[in-house]
Amino acid sequence: MTVSTTSILTIRRSERKRAHRLFRSPTAVLALIWLIGLVVASLTSPLWLRYGPLEQDLTAVLQGPSVAHLLGTDELGRDLLSRIVTAAASTLAIGCIPPIVAVLITVPVTLWAVRSARAEATMNRVSEIVMSLPGTVIILAFIAAVGTNMPLVMTLLGVLLFGALYRIFFGQAKALQKQLFIEAAAVDGVRPTAASFRHVLPNMSTTVIVQFVLFFGVGIMMQAGLAFIGLGPQPPEPTWGGMIQTAARFIFQQPWMMVPTGAVLALTIIAANSLADVLSGGAATPPPLVALRRRKKKPAPDAEYVVAVAPAGAGASLPAEATVLFPVETVADLPEVVATLPADNIETSAPDLTGRTPARTAADGELIIDDLVLGVDGGPALVTGVSLRVQPGRVMGLVGESGCGKSVTSYAILGLLSPGLSVRSGSIRWGRADLAQADERTLAKVRGHDIAFISQEPARALDPMFTIGWQLGAAVKRLRRVGARDAKSIAGQLLEDVGIVDVPRVLGSYPHQISGGMAQRVAIALALAGSPRLLVADEPTTALDVTIQAEILALLRGLVASRGMSIILVTHDLGVVADLCDDVSVMYAGQIVETGTVRDVLVRPEHPYTMALLAADPHAILDFDGTSRLASIPGQVPLPGSWTTGCRFAQRCRFARDECLTAIPLLPRAEGDGGVRCVRRDEVRGRQEEWRRPVAIGGGDL
Amino acid sequence: MLIFVLKRVAWAILTLLIASWIAFVLVHLSGSTPGGVALGQSATPEQVVAYNESIGWYDPWIQQYLAWVGQVLRGNLGTSLIDGRPIGPDIAKRLPVTAALAAGGTILSAVLGIVLGVVAAVRRGGVDRFITVLTGVMLSLPAFWVGILLVYVFAVQLRLLPATGFVPFEVSPEKWFKSLVLPVLTIAITSAGFIARQTRASMAEALAQEHIRTLRAVGTPSGRIIYVHALRSASLPILATVAVQFIVLFGGSVMIELLFALPGIGQAMQSAVGSADLPFVQALVLVATLVVVIVNVVLETLNRTLDPKLRTS
Repeated sequence: MTVSTTSILTIRRSERKRAHRLFRSPTAVLALIWLIGLVVASLTSPLWLRYGPLEQDLTAVLQGPSVAHLLGTDELGRDLLSRIVTAAASTLAIGCIPPIVAVLITVPVTLWAVRSARAEATMNRVSEIVMSLPGTVIILAFIAAVGTNMPLVMTLLGVLLFGALYRIFFGQAKALQKQLFIEAAAVDGVRPTAASFRHVLPNMSTTVIVQFVLFFGVGIMMQAGLAFIGLGPQPPEPTWGGMIQTAARFIFQQPWMMVPTGAVLALTIIAANSLADVLSGGAATPPPLVALRRRKKKPAPDAEYVVAVAPAGAGASLPAEATVLFPVETVADLPEVVATLPADNIETSAPDLTGRTPARTAADGELIIDDLVLGVDGGPALVTGVSLRVQPGRVMGLVGESGCGKSVTSYAILGLLSPGLSVRSGSIRWGRADLAQADERTLAKVRGHDIAFISQEPARALDPMFTIGWQLGAAVKRLRRVGARDAKSIAGQLLEDVGIVDVPRVLGSYPHQISGGMAQRVAIALALAGSPRLLVADEPTTALDVTIQAEILALLRGLVASRGMSIILVTHDLGVVADLCDDVSVMYAGQIVETGTVRDVLVRPEHPYTMALLAADPHAILDFDGTSRLASIPGQVPLPGSWTTGCRFAQRCRFARDECLTAIPLLPRAEGDGGVRCVRRDEVRGRQEEWRRPVAIGGGDL
Repeated sequence: MLIFVLKRVAWAILTLLIASWIAFVLVHLSGSTPGGVALGQSATPEQVVAYNESIGWYDPWIQQYLAWVGQVLRGNLGTSLIDGRPIGPDIAKRLPVTAALAAGGTILSAVLGIVLGVVAAVRRGGVDRFITVLTGVMLSLPAFWVGILLVYVFAVQLRLLPATGFVPFEVSPEKWFKSLVLPVLTIAITSAGFIARQTRASMAEALAQEHIRTLRAVGTPSGRIIYVHALRSASLPILATVAVQFIVLFGGSVMIELLFALPGIGQAMQSAVGSADLPFVQALVLVATLVVVIVNVVLETLNRTLDPKLRTS
């Protein structure tokens, strides 16, 4: 994927966002108030303090807090409040030296290193050496040489921090430099130096500020530490570290002293670190790919249910109605479509108009998805009312453009939705279980054992840290409940089954050592580890070379034949569908728009979207007379949340009319089993050739 | 592998040379001279100059530096200006104290930090926010202050542990252990925050990897995904943070050693700096750098064994 243009736009807005983030966070506001308040109080202290920082009162030594001495007194009767406040201004000012020095050195060096490979190599070495120096010890040796001159010592600390800072800055600057707009600037003839200052530096400003604030905290901490060990400013000058050291000496006589002295230091550093946290956008981390636990479902959705029919299931192959729940308000007007469709039709759902349909128990090895609605929590729906039925030994294709909800639907089958996405309603029937509502234990019994999953990118689907033999063996051991030795031989057998020749070598390899096609074979072997009856394959060939694609498809076809497995094949490639599938469901914008057998749908499409896909399919083009050409579908799939109640394809459809703006149910096909979601079905049938001509968007019909 | 090791060793030697050079220059830039320090206030300027001349202090720097390096290579770190004793054996006696402190502190803070980080990354939401605030406070607290608080609670109030002091292991393992409990705890509390934050970030990244879905799809239990697979791929950055922590502790435990009166390297450094014991300062910089360099080599080697991509390339 290339750099998205949105990222370029958001970077530009970083400054405003930063200020916004700062003032909207109570933590950051408190931290700023604390730091600024300390400086102001310290600078104005001669005006309001009742005692000087060096004023001794030997009649009131080691006192706790009192009206006379709000924070108590030290061993010489000096007022602690006065000493703490007096020391603040210089501590904070000197604390700014390390970050200033570090940034002043690192920024120019980074900008230089980013532009020249030789500079990069040199500076990487230098920073590595600087980072390998024992910082505290060097600083102490420096104090031995120059004495306890704090500004000078803090300057050295800044120099020593260069190593760490360079790593951070360089990583980011390198990424920025590579970005599109820098390249664009280079093409425009902007000099590299100018480009660095104009583009790289402003976009690094947040990082620079965050590190500045963090190193400010380091500077404060180091000053206090040095004063604590007696190598800071010398007494009687008040220092925070020195006061803590005194508190430590008198811990038995007056433990109170450590409270104000330590608290002021701790709070200052906490303030600096929280500021940095807020500025960096709170340590934002990527969410896990898959929810590791399932949230408890909210109990009743929105309708009450009554138990309707309960005849004990008859034959195993029949869809036995065990206990069927009907929503109260829809019992009366159960959709006619259900009744009119043939019994083994792929599509048995009710149209969207009527809402819920009766849930049922799937036959052995059969998967029935019924009116499934998936959505972003607190956001739009991604899939609305998808119904599918996959019978044992059949291959069901799920096709559509990117962003139609195919992959999400396939994830939902095994409860593999990312956190933040959830099933809103509908059911996924597998045997007696409803996988849409199932808890982790039920899902664990199904995953791998009954239903397996293979994902889009074989190279990234395997754990790079473990050998293939280890991963495969672990899955076999768990799924087949066998010992390590048996697991190993089964793993080898599985690899042979998926057509891998050099089994021992592959077993001992890490995923990065094998090719993409090989990795997909391994992923399939892994999916077969528990002898599943249904395989959900999410674009299994998309990331592979064409020649490898054919091999993987042949492998899948062989598995269906030899194991009687059924497959749900998610793909955008109609060639793959034609090659492998028995049935096909075409998805558009979160809905199924057409279903049927492969022959019906691909040869006699009834939905304009299917026709458009066929016309746009590079494999399907038959250019015998030289007139037809590859078509493109104008416009884009509408985003979730922007869907209208009418036909979602209407905007892009060359046959669209006003009547397409009304809600459209999934009607039975005119020819063959299945359904189609188009009000103009009868008028548009057989006109797929028209999609090969350029289109006037939105109803240029005739 | 051999080339890798040779490269690392060459690199380590270069770092050591640079550190020795820095130490040498710093010592020679200082206002004090060996004679002034060794002979004390009572000595006349003539006596001081005579002493300095006797040890070659006025020779050209390069000559002095080479002489020093030559001595070090022969295993002689010089003698202290203050008490005239050889430095090498003194440091050798102190090393186990600091090593025990740094190792104990690193192990405990690693355990604490990794647990907190994993919990934060896995549970997210409120738990994550709480742990983030907690670790934020932990890494902001000055270690020497936390140490005092612990002394107050466990030594002054509860009288469970000694407030300060050190008992060598050979004398009494039990007392040795007790004398290290509070210092190690202090380090763990203040260092676990960094490790926890790194663990949280790395774990979150690991859990967002594509293969987690595959693992889930073959029915791998959550616990196994978290502790075997995700933690395994997060282990490299976590290990790096732990190593950095160890390095920081080894050189930077001065405050802890002074607070708890532990006779380690840091305490020696503080007194050598305070009394301008120049050869001792030089020697300590060298030893501290050596430790850092060794830890780095160990870390690199561990990285190579942990990361299959590096190992097999």
